[in-house]
Amino acid sequence: MDVVIDAPDRQAAAPRVKGLNCPKCGASLNVRSFDHAVTIVCGSCHSILDAKDPQLRILQEFEGKGLAVHPLIPLGTRGQMHGAPYQVIGFQQRTIEVEEVHYSWHEYLLFNPTKGFRYLTQYDGHWNDAATLKSLPAAIPGTRQTITYDGVTYKHFQTADAVTSFVLGEFPWEVRVGDSARVSDYVAPPRVISREATGTEATWSIGEYIPGRDVWTAFGLPGQPPTAVGVYSNQPAPNVGSIWRPFLMLAAALLVVMIVLSSVAGNSNIFEHTYTFDTRKPQMEQHESSFVTEVFELTGHTSNVELTTEAALANNWIGVSYALINDNTGEAYDFGREVSYYSGSDSDGAWTEDSSRAVTVVPSVPPGRYYLRVEPDADPGPGAIRYKVILRRDVPSVLLYVLALLALAIPPGFATWRRISFETARWAESDGSAPDIGSDR
Amino acid sequence: MGRIYLGYGLFVLGLLGAAEYRGWSFDSVSQRKDVPRSVRDNPGSYRSVYGGYHHYTGGK
Repeated sequence: MDVVIDAPDRQAAAPRVKGLNCPKCGASLNVRSFDHAVTIVCGSCHSILDAKDPQLRILQEFEGKGLAVHPLIPLGTRGQMHGAPYQVIGFQQRTIEVEEVHYSWHEYLLFNPTKGFRYLTQYDGHWNDAATLKSLPAAIPGTRQTITYDGVTYKHFQTADAVTSFVLGEFPWEVRVGDSARVSDYVAPPRVISREATGTEATWSIGEYIPGRDVWTAFGLPGQPPTAVGVYSNQPAPNVGSIWRPFLMLAAALLVVMIVLSSVAGNSNIFEHTYTFDTRKPQMEQHESSFVTEVFELTGHTSNVELTTEAALANNWIGVSYALINDNTGEAYDFGREVSYYSGSDSDGAWTEDSSRAVTVVPSVPPGRYYLRVEPDADPGPGAIRYKVILRRDVPSVLLYVLALLALAIPPGFATWRRISFETARWAESDGSAPDIGSDR
Repeated sequence: MGRIYLGYGLFVLGLLGAAEYRGWSFDSVSQRKDVPRSVRDNPGSYRSVYGGYHHYTGGK
């Protein structure tokens, strides 16, 4: 076996490698982390070798023919992370079983001779940039569900037994397929703190969610990263606060618009008359009960006209057909309204149905000389019905402001609904089995 | 997102201003043209769209 050892190159952008051969299949091995390597995995036969043994003793032979996993970032790929060059030197797949379903994620081991190791993890297109914690998080007394680190509170998300199901490359620890660790995740998006416990030993790491395209850019990978599926434990939720602030600004602007437009609106009373409809007259005569008002002037710009019909009724109704007719152009706005009032009592007690006032807003009426044609109608009866007709010009509409406020609230409301759905989807994958971390040192 | 929403909000305010100024309404009103001047002298000659409708007789 030929062994050539180069001195570590401090410029990790172009490190040299130590050349070795696999004792099982003879394939050449590249060692990129030099003295840090504890185990090496042959890229050809996937045998796990003891890097500290001069003969590269075989620690474990790969028994999963056909089950090899191909890393999305090839071993040896160099990239820039946090302003420093890193090289991908190891890859492992780890698997947990939840309710008889296996979930696997990938971990890429990155190495820089001066900065050390860090990790990239990938599950269903979701990526995390992780590094080992240099100090322990603090447990919050009385609860296992939260921890604090660097002033941030992390909430327990999931605890499961993770089994190493495939390895490739080199590692600064003894790795075996089948290794198991109790992994607990605590999240404070976009960060996650993970605790890995094996026996009495526990190690902690902190990760930050990064988009797949950032990984592709950092390592100059061809093509596109895999599309992220679903919601990940520490994936940042849509930022809703940033849209409610402009909503409040716009709502304030709406209030200003309402005050200004209401103050300049004419809101003028054009006329107010009370008429009488005699229901004692024969039916034929009633059909000729129509009449017209005097001509009146609608001034100002094109605006609305509000017509109110009021009647003093007792278990009766009156319907009035109106036509607002321009005396000059012959253009007419035709509409009708019915008012009624009924009362009585039954086994439930006294009741009333009061619709004795009806308001109609005629839209966008140009200025000019107008008159009203009025045609009342009612059932033949023993008496007369008195009804009042009130006509106003350029009346502010509260309904339009309410609709505008609703229209302004739709986007932030939708964003909030998305945020709630996002968090619901996130925590649907959580469990409550937080470990006791009080003995971690 | 913020800029798009701000643009959308300003559009809504502009639309509201136009609607208020021009007096828009959702009420059902039919427009007719060329109503003869004779209606002023003979109101019964005008046939209203809403005349002779069936009315609600009320009561529980």
